[in-house]
Amino acid sequence: MAEISQDEASVVIIGSGAGGGTLAYELTRAGIPVVVLEAGPHLRNEDYMNLEWEAFNQMAWLDPRTTSGSWRIATDFPNLPAWVVKAVGGTTTHWSGATPRFRAHEFRTRSVYGRVEGANLLDWPITLEDLAPYYDRAEKAMGSTHRHGRPPLPANNNYKVLAGGAEKVGYRHYATGPYATNAEPYDGRPASIQDGFNFQGDKNRSKWSTLVRELPRAQETGLLDLRPESQAVQITHGKDGRVDAVIYLDSEGNLHRQAAQVVCVAGNSIETPRLLLMSASSLFPDGLANSSGQVGRNYMRHTTGSVYARFEKEVRMYRGETMAGLIADEARHDPSRGFVGGYYLQMISLGPAFLASFIEPGAWGREFTELMDAYARTAGLWIVGEDMPQESNRVTLNSTVQDRYGLPVPDVHFDDHPNDVAMREHAYAQSDRVYEAVGALGTHHTPPYPSTHNLGTSRMSERPEDGVTDRWGRTHDVPNLFVSDGSLFTTGAAANPTLTIVALAIRQAEYLVDKLRTGGL
Amino acid sequence: MGYPEKYPAKYPQLNEMEFTDTARRILIRILRVAFPHEGFPDGPYERQADQIFELANESTWFRIKLTQGIATLNDLAGGSFLGLDDQSATKVLKHVEHTDFFGFIRRTTILNMYEDEAVWEVLGYEGPSFDRGGYLDRGFNDLDWLPDPRVEESDEPFVEVVSDLPVPSRAAPGADQPTGEAAQASHPGLASTTADQNLTEDN
Repeated sequence: MAEISQDEASVVIIGSGAGGGTLAYELTRAGIPVVVLEAGPHLRNEDYMNLEWEAFNQMAWLDPRTTSGSWRIATDFPNLPAWVVKAVGGTTTHWSGATPRFRAHEFRTRSVYGRVEGANLLDWPITLEDLAPYYDRAEKAMGSTHRHGRPPLPANNNYKVLAGGAEKVGYRHYATGPYATNAEPYDGRPASIQDGFNFQGDKNRSKWSTLVRELPRAQETGLLDLRPESQAVQITHGKDGRVDAVIYLDSEGNLHRQAAQVVCVAGNSIETPRLLLMSASSLFPDGLANSSGQVGRNYMRHTTGSVYARFEKEVRMYRGETMAGLIADEARHDPSRGFVGGYYLQMISLGPAFLASFIEPGAWGREFTELMDAYARTAGLWIVGEDMPQESNRVTLNSTVQDRYGLPVPDVHFDDHPNDVAMREHAYAQSDRVYEAVGALGTHHTPPYPSTHNLGTSRMSERPEDGVTDRWGRTHDVPNLFVSDGSLFTTGAAANPTLTIVALAIRQAEYLVDKLRTGGL
Repeated sequence: MGYPEKYPAKYPQLNEMEFTDTARRILIRILRVAFPHEGFPDGPYERQADQIFELANESTWFRIKLTQGIATLNDLAGGSFLGLDDQSATKVLKHVEHTDFFGFIRRTTILNMYEDEAVWEVLGYEGPSFDRGGYLDRGFNDLDWLPDPRVEESDEPFVEVVSDLPVPSRAAPGADQPTGEAAQASHPGLASTTADQNLTEDN
């Protein structure tokens, strides 16, 4: 592994997940040394645990956060707005693996959906055509099933129920993927053993993550200086308005300064705007790269929800890949349904510990225990749909609450848009139909979990006044400052975001390599 | 997921309190009534009660709330909560469900009792699986009461954008499909398309 001097002005990447990890690999592969500052520890696959709460405690980002707004999370999980990872590999170590692409129209929502009251819709500054070659590369890197010759995963029990119901209600676009987990050995990693612990890390290494692919390969180049337990707290700049260093905390709370030629922020969509806001200065009084006022705004989390259906006979949904199955038919724009945008129905499974906590927060008594008693006879899905960007859905610094280092914690404010509510209701009703078609005795509508898809707080825009970054993820205000994670998303689309984050990072890396070579930064 | 120490122990004698065997029996009864699982043995409920007492011993706030709450239950029960049948005991708990006392018991139980092996056994959950080779050879696909579904993607075109114009013939999928008969074939051709739909390849 490289050791880069703290005085050497380097490419500094903040975060090692889908965006940061991919960027680190692509840059080092092109011969560019990089420092990666990762807030969390370097967990390895063998460290992961097949126990839900213990794994959560080991992996999750548990630093305090606050919530506000009318979303139910603010009541049920007031200090846990998001369920993301603080460890090397970031949230790619916890994700399930679904890799649908955006549809062409989902890059052009303002044009296609028209004006939606209360929504801050904007067309992306790029199109599906621009991103398509990078989607190809991302799918090959991640080993997406159903793509580029990768075979599908077999049907597990939970999928048999989902697909059986889908077929009966007339849905056509269901399959066990695309899904970035090996159905057969690929890329030096083994096939899935269907152990059912995707959310708890994957001990078997069959699931793609930057922990198993990009980061070790970047280390093999000898050009990666990966620093775990190094949490960035400020990006500094010179008189010229260009960033010149990153201040970060080590595990003992000591501050360090890493000089920077370029800074790429990929801390997930809550920490990324928090860091930009904490980097406010006299030159950037509202936060770094925030002349638009859009840093932290347009926070999106997908319209979600789950449906758990009880059957007469056993399902045992927990056996096998957690999310290797989806219905895509509703992931279309069809305003006759009463909302714009679309959604996927994807199978999901929780163990009893998590199901008890999330199936109906606040519940007790027989209504609750009947759901739990049916555990072995239960099938589950979750809804993943496009939510509307709203300026008031926003990550801000909470000046009244501090973390253990005395830093202001991020507050996540969220109100559902009426479009989100209409979509969720539609999705609940369609899910009931799917399950009833194969004999469900009853279904339960579970409210959204803490957000796993956090998007949009430093969005791309053609014009500097509409967003934070340009079509390459370069901030409009600071030429050597980039955003490299899901914060970039101008709008959220229906698709799970990881594939698109990886594709954007590969594309950004190409741009950066070119600019670093030609001196265009 | 810790519980904030809301108030310091201003009066040291509050720390001298101990929970009696009766208090433990009442707490176990509360758990049985609030989380009624006929199939659960006593073990999980007893372990849960003990954990709640342990947590209460670490927090003055919950210790005084727990003590007060248990006393209140007896008052609400007109003497002895332990003497109530299930239905009456549930009613009493309904009265206190929004108190810190009950919230503490409920949250602690939800977060812990269902990660207990004795509970898993009753519910039919098999726990950690990696060390046993996952479920690849242990029934990940053993559901046999439905036909084996297609796992590949459909060849049919995907309609990405449907026109704003009303299309009366297009109901939401499932709206008028019979659900009682098995549709075994993978491609029965039920998907309806109309002229003004913008057909786009799904990829």
